[in-house]
Amino acid sequence: MTEKGKELFDKVKENINILQTEGTLEKQFGDFWKLACTIKTRQHDLQYLYDDSSREFVDKYRETLIKMREDFVNHMDDYVEKCINIMRKKNFTVYYAKTNEEAQKIFMEELGDTKTIYKSKSNQAKDIGIIDILKTNNIKIKETDLGDVLVQLFKYELPSFQVGPGAHFTEEEIAAKIKEVYDVDLEPKAHAIVDFFRNTYRKELLNDIKVSLTSANAISAEDGTIVLGENEGNISLITRATEKHIVVCGITKIVPNILDAVLITKLQSRINNVSYNYISLISGPSNTSDIQGTSVQGMYGAKEVVVILVDDWRTKAAKKNLFYKEFLKCIGCKSCIFPCTASRAFGNIFASKYGLGGIAIIRDYIHNGIEAAVEDGLFLCTSCENCYHWCPVSINLGEILRKMKKEASEKGLAPPYLDQYKEKIFKEKNPFK
Amino acid sequence: MTKLIFLGCLSKTKYQETCKNAIKIIKTLDSEFEILEDVPCCGALAYHIGSDSELKTHVEYVNDWFKSKNISNIVTICAGCYNYLTKYYPQFLGEDFKIEVKHLIQFMAQKENLAKLNLKNLGKPLKVSYHDACHLRNAELPVIEEPRIILESIENVELKELDNNKKNSICCGAGGGVYSVFKENSDHNSKLIFDQLKRGKALLTACPFCYTALYRVRNDNQIKKPVIKFEDFIVKIMEGVDPLVD
Repeated sequence: MTEKGKELFDKVKENINILQTEGTLEKQFGDFWKLACTIKTRQHDLQYLYDDSSREFVDKYRETLIKMREDFVNHMDDYVEKCINIMRKKNFTVYYAKTNEEAQKIFMEELGDTKTIYKSKSNQAKDIGIIDILKTNNIKIKETDLGDVLVQLFKYELPSFQVGPGAHFTEEEIAAKIKEVYDVDLEPKAHAIVDFFRNTYRKELLNDIKVSLTSANAISAEDGTIVLGENEGNISLITRATEKHIVVCGITKIVPNILDAVLITKLQSRINNVSYNYISLISGPSNTSDIQGTSVQGMYGAKEVVVILVDDWRTKAAKKNLFYKEFLKCIGCKSCIFPCTASRAFGNIFASKYGLGGIAIIRDYIHNGIEAAVEDGLFLCTSCENCYHWCPVSINLGEILRKMKKEASEKGLAPPYLDQYKEKIFKEKNPFK
Repeated sequence: MTKLIFLGCLSKTKYQETCKNAIKIIKTLDSEFEILEDVPCCGALAYHIGSDSELKTHVEYVNDWFKSKNISNIVTICAGCYNYLTKYYPQFLGEDFKIEVKHLIQFMAQKENLAKLNLKNLGKPLKVSYHDACHLRNAELPVIEEPRIILESIENVELKELDNNKKNSICCGAGGGVYSVFKENSDHNSKLIFDQLKRGKALLTACPFCYTALYRVRNDNQIKKPVIKFEDFIVKIMEGVDPLVD
């Protein structure tokens, strides 16, 4: 074990101590998360509004999805090219960014003089480093998903659940926070809190947006349509009532056609038991031809829709057959997080700045290397492969994490005891001797 | 040709009584199976911490040892050994690994073996639950239905499934070497497994790693219902002893 290994091990141990200490934010989240995972893991097998359970729904389409994603990974260049061509014909402004840095640069140029940006949840923007670059440039980031609005209100900086950030704040805490920040007395009830934001923030969203940012649930290569699912209506507002809508996502959001894109979006909703009450299909900027048949862009909706498709690690992983190549198939449904043994036990200390669970740790590894992943709690993973069993496209995240552990071990970053086991197995042929 | 009972390092070191019980079951079913001295570790625990070349060297060493003893069949009593020998040995060794490997539960569940065991619980009707170990449910040839077939074959024993079972079972939190370093994982997850033990009077497991974690968490939480190793349970049934009495 190297010095660095010791340092990272101590850090993880310290995180576990914090997680178990009453009154810490980590403990508060951890307790909430334990409950949420237990309920969700069971709920997945229950019927929820529909005739079939979400697991049955996933199983029904599993084969189709696997085939669809494998086909994409094997023909990534073709799909990307096809998608970009059709999008340009449909008056999208499209960029293909080779790296995250390039995407960040393009984004800042597209932002121009605008100093405030309104965004949806957009986990992809975090992955691509857009949030970091906005912060560096002192751009005011206005969240619109209520969960993220709350996270921002509380200045909560620890990792939270990608699908429901802020779900761990209690009604009392939120009401108290609103009193502190806005000096408004609210009944500590969910409906009162929602009413407060509807009455105050909704007007701003409808009147004041120059540039908005979203990711995409999926993009159809056949017709260049962007699919965005949501239940609050925030995405509908900020993608319409804006001058410029910027979409930033990895090229892996591309799927062959619109039916595939809708299927993936529907699946993301079913598997998480969230209601996508609105699904937007965006095929270009707002447009009218009502005056003498002349096509004019920018009627009531977005005047311009900019799409930044980011490659970064993706083509490299496919072409070089890197061990995390499988990860390219990920549809971002997050269904691997609830059943994760380590996530349940360790909440937001088995996590990275990209969110909770193994997927967030793999992202950290891809962008920031093995030391970052070890610090995120890589060695808390039991290799139970629940993530693999629940994944609708059968990505063996457990195996990817195992390979990362191997790399960490080779670099002297494995925790003590494990190192000793290894020595005993190879030399004495019994780890418990 | 030699038929080997592969006890596994953890059971051999920590659970000798269970080893005796497993040997008893296996010998009852096929007396040709034997115990050999100095059986090397399969290497499962080193999988995610050893380099591919180190692992290959080890796996080759073990395979050469098997060859030197002329091993044709193996029955493992450890879930981890079963998973590793059946998944990773063929991966590292290809055609050079020719041994037929079965887990004790698979071996017991074979029709002729079940008939031979003819298990009957002589005491009061008993409801038990079974915890699916990751090593068995995730194996190349998963062992999922077999424990259920065995339990259902026992007169006066009824299986009460946990909410999370088969492929969706909750991991005890001990796998991947985590138990030796971060016990907090099993503190939560093993407790969750016990929480699902509603109508079952005992929790059975066929994995010594799960057993170790579950046993500790049971004690820590002063849970009354016992966790019992599958083979210990079966032997008590075979001997007409109350399987819930330690």
